[in-house]
Amino acid sequence: MDGKAGEKRALTGNEAIARGFYEAGGVVASSYPGSPTVEILEKTKVYEEIYGEFSTNEKVALEVGIGGSFSGARAMVSMKHVGVNIAADPLMTFTLTPTNGGFLLVTGDDPGLASSQNEQDNRVLGKFAHLGILDPSDSQEAKDYTKKALEISEHFEIPMLLRITSRLCHSRSVVVLEDRQEVKSKGINRSKEKFCMIPPGSRRAQMFMKERLQKLEEYAYDTELNTLEEKQGSDTLLITSGLVYYNLKEVEPEASIWKLGLVYPISKKRAKEITSQYKRIIVIEEMMPFIENELKLMGIECEGKKYFEYTGELDVPDIEEGLYQAGLLKNKPEGSKRFVETVSRPPLFCTGCPHRPTFDILKKSKAKVVVGDIGCYSLAALFPFEQSNSIISMGASIGMTKGIRKAMSLTKEEEPLVTVIGDGTFFHSGLPTFVNLLHQKKDNENMTFIVLDNRTTAMTGGQHNGSSGLYNERDDMRVGIKTLLETMGFDRIKEINQYDYKAAEKLFKEEIAYEGLSIIVVNGPCALRYNLEKPYFYVDPKICISCRACIRTNCPPLRMIEYEGIEKLKSSIDKDMCVGCSVCAQVCPVNAIKSSKASEKEGE
Amino acid sequence: MNKLIKNIMFAGVGGQGLILMTRIISQAAMKDDFDIKSNDVVGLSQRGGMVWGNVRIGKKIFSPNIRPGEGDILVAMEPLEALRWSAKLRDDGLIIMNSKRFYPTIVQQEKEEYPEVAIEDLKANMNVIEINAFEEAKNLGKKQVANVMLLGILAKHLEIKVETWKETIKDNVPEKAIDLNMQAFDLGYVYQG
Repeated sequence: MDGKAGEKRALTGNEAIARGFYEAGGVVASSYPGSPTVEILEKTKVYEEIYGEFSTNEKVALEVGIGGSFSGARAMVSMKHVGVNIAADPLMTFTLTPTNGGFLLVTGDDPGLASSQNEQDNRVLGKFAHLGILDPSDSQEAKDYTKKALEISEHFEIPMLLRITSRLCHSRSVVVLEDRQEVKSKGINRSKEKFCMIPPGSRRAQMFMKERLQKLEEYAYDTELNTLEEKQGSDTLLITSGLVYYNLKEVEPEASIWKLGLVYPISKKRAKEITSQYKRIIVIEEMMPFIENELKLMGIECEGKKYFEYTGELDVPDIEEGLYQAGLLKNKPEGSKRFVETVSRPPLFCTGCPHRPTFDILKKSKAKVVVGDIGCYSLAALFPFEQSNSIISMGASIGMTKGIRKAMSLTKEEEPLVTVIGDGTFFHSGLPTFVNLLHQKKDNENMTFIVLDNRTTAMTGGQHNGSSGLYNERDDMRVGIKTLLETMGFDRIKEINQYDYKAAEKLFKEEIAYEGLSIIVVNGPCALRYNLEKPYFYVDPKICISCRACIRTNCPPLRMIEYEGIEKLKSSIDKDMCVGCSVCAQVCPVNAIKSSKASEKEGE
Repeated sequence: MNKLIKNIMFAGVGGQGLILMTRIISQAAMKDDFDIKSNDVVGLSQRGGMVWGNVRIGKKIFSPNIRPGEGDILVAMEPLEALRWSAKLRDDGLIIMNSKRFYPTIVQQEKEEYPEVAIEDLKANMNVIEINAFEEAKNLGKKQVANVMLLGILAKHLEIKVETWKETIKDNVPEKAIDLNMQAFDLGYVYQG
């Protein structure tokens, strides 16, 4: 994203944050890929002035960022909301120390759970960690606040949190570019009592943390980040922040609006001054009643969640409905009919995905309990595979399996357990849990761990991870999962090419039956990232016996259709969509599915 | 309400390149001095699920979201998705529909029928321009240019200059694919339905 000062660009919130970091003279950027914030790091990597990396997990990413700040340079760490949970350990202590170079943590919250396992409001985590929190309303503000956050961070020596939501991350609006401002590194601050968090220094740091927030609260009194739009003659004040502000503006309410850009801390003095001018105070915010509770703690009477849903996004019709309930709109708003009730279209494994044969085999296997994890393969929980009994958080499947096995063994339940984990998740937080499996291990405990190694973080668009380099020359990490596990001390590890369906089926059967701990590393490149494109396959309807074995693999180009002159429905393949992975041909019991390449050779 | 606002919606299946389309329209509209806000759904739904997006163009745009019943034009890359999102359009809104079908899992597994009848009704009752952009693009040489063909049709219904459209498309596609994309855009622009 080159561009000169004064140029206008239509940028997403993510792109705007990356640009803001560049303009602010940012030096170190780190992240772990997760929707909705993936693009932030991808875009910072464009600038050669910035060192950017997708780290192994969010905790490591945060540590890299802390190091950047500690060295005196400006640093930014971005992640999805649940990522902050992973990073929470270093974060909670880092916030006891002063920042040296400006430090910004970006969290992508997901109201409405568009692509997440939960919906957590990280403003709460921000307060818990004693961070200052900014909440932008559009892309221009996302850029401006990124810069402002780094300034505030350096001035008050406080790590800052930029809270952004999925909608804003991916929505585009006009942004005016500015030049990069080079910021001279301050160099490492070696003051041990400030940076080594052991008592008694850490006890003093508690006081520092409190005083620092008090100073920021004084700054909040008249910061331009918060704006008051007064409506003549109105006795009602609406308080809001983030994208909700612009949704509220669509409604054109007959009330004044106090828009908060700095949502924590809020100046008590300023809040009292402003709210005392109004009879009624209504807070409009997504997810938790954060601002509402802050005001109530100050003794300010206000309403909020009484009228607005505690979960999901607040779009224009939701705001209208809430304001109507509150008596601020005279006419009952029309309902928010979103779409026609019709056939649903849930996500599914991509055409040629190597995970598809794995779950097709598992569905037919004796595995009663399949413990799932976070990644593309989470889709196996959906129809038609329905092969996941739980999905909790990154890497949780391994530790949970141990707990399930130990509990079941005590009650003499011996049915096999199968656990799946992807390569990205394996490196992210699976490793320590694998180590833990070796502890108090009993020989007859039947657990089969399948590591789905497609050598990329596929769910978020194909970012690299520990094993990417084994398929891709440009990637510098070449960690072999099988070798790593062997070195750890596991003795039964098999490896199989996932596209070799028959061999995989046989191996799965053996390993699931094996009464002990076994690991299968299944290899198959992500069909999207590594652009699987081989000659397409087709169905010979005269041979097809309509058994639907191929259809059950759920590959998108497959479908039962009517052929002219044939009474029964027969299978078919959309050749424009087929990438030639061959799995359907391998499951066909009568060889009705053939490669177009083979048929060309035969001269058909 | 600001009368100048045009609300354009997109609907399709994950992986069809919807985000590129919203980007191109946003940039083109901005170049011709309109304010814009756009919106895309990405993430989990990339994997063959339903995806949608929208662009709002006008003098001053507040929310990137379109209110139900206020969409002016729906560009649907798939007929079932056209049907699904049609309720967000104004009654006299326009649907530009690619006729290439992508069958959802539940249809593939023969649990439900693809709603052909409802799609026929939609075509009969609303203003629909239908094109098999996928086939047309294949004929041109590359199925990926189907989206630009749809943009060509859309361009006719917006007050953005043709040169601006072309410039913006050039900025967003690989150099060697520029000629093909220009052909696809022109083909869409003159398409009569």
